[in-house]
Amino acid sequence: MSDQEQPEEFADINEAVGAQWEAETTPYERIRRVIAHTYEPVSTDAVAEDARTAPKTARKHLKALVDEGFVETVPGEHGGTQYRRSSESLVVEQAADILEHVSTDELVTRIQEMREQLSEYQSEFGVDSPEELAVEQANQALAASESTQQTIDPETIRDWKTLRRNLAFATAALSIGNAEQFVDDDHRSADDTVPV
Amino acid sequence: MTGSPDRPEAHTLRGATDRAALLRIHDIVETMEPLATAELDDYLNPSVLELTLEDGLCEAKTARIDVQWTTQGEYKFHYTDDQGVDFRWGKHPHGGDYIHVPRLEHYHPPPDASSEPDEVEASCITQAPPDLVIRAVLKLWRVAYHTNSYEPLNAGQNPP
Repeated sequence: MSDQEQPEEFADINEAVGAQWEAETTPYERIRRVIAHTYEPVSTDAVAEDARTAPKTARKHLKALVDEGFVETVPGEHGGTQYRRSSESLVVEQAADILEHVSTDELVTRIQEMREQLSEYQSEFGVDSPEELAVEQANQALAASESTQQTIDPETIRDWKTLRRNLAFATAALSIGNAEQFVDDDHRSADDTVPV
Repeated sequence: MTGSPDRPEAHTLRGATDRAALLRIHDIVETMEPLATAELDDYLNPSVLELTLEDGLCEAKTARIDVQWTTQGEYKFHYTDDQGVDFRWGKHPHGGDYIHVPRLEHYHPPPDASSEPDEVEASCITQAPPDLVIRAVLKLWRVAYHTNSYEPLNAGQNPP
């Protein structure tokens, strides 16, 4: 155990961890890490700053990441290009992680449970989505008097959004798992019947 | 626990829990900090990544840091130990309630992770990517651990 190790001196925690990160990674790796968790479109300069690279370097690697399908572009307000993590690559990545760690049986059971939980939110609040609930609440707040106003815990809204997002990943994992199975079976039966 | 009870929405993390970011933080903790183990509270539908520490700060023998991270890049890193000491680094809107905090990043100091408007401090952690925030948290914890003091946790420096 390295717990005898004394941490080195540093004058600023942000600079200390930033410099360490820079020493251990390439600019491409840092840009990939930064954009991996950036779901709202951002400019090249913003990515460059977070990734501790020059804007020119960020632009080059972001373009490569667009070609890989890891990143998608969005037209910026002032004609510039903005970037964000591609939803498709995120879904595929999360599905692959789930397939690696969770058995198909467990996945089927949990998806069923999560669907039931989602229905419970919908029937409890009488709306289909957390976004509708937020609109509904705002309308009620405007219309109703203080005494009748019912406030819903904002954490419940976040839990609902989270559940919906993670159910989507789990469902994608199950679909990909099933698809792989069928494609494999298909190859096998083809091998059996095609004479060489 | 956090914020003014009359306006709970002003102190809530914005966005859904970011499972991908929690997995990334999990991997960094497992690689970088030998005294910590990391586990999601629910592998498929997580809300918290629990970091179990083999030793606590000062008198404490065991401790835990609960990590929340959302798709809007907002977060909470809440430390709690067997001596009942709590503190928390956070990043989320506070409606200007924390009078010493100009930005979103703030620090609820020990011993009780106080949410008193004039006790909450501006956080020394100002970088945004999960890779950097977890590195900062681990490093600040390490310095506090070796100096047997809570002071370094938000000092942001480790002087000679």
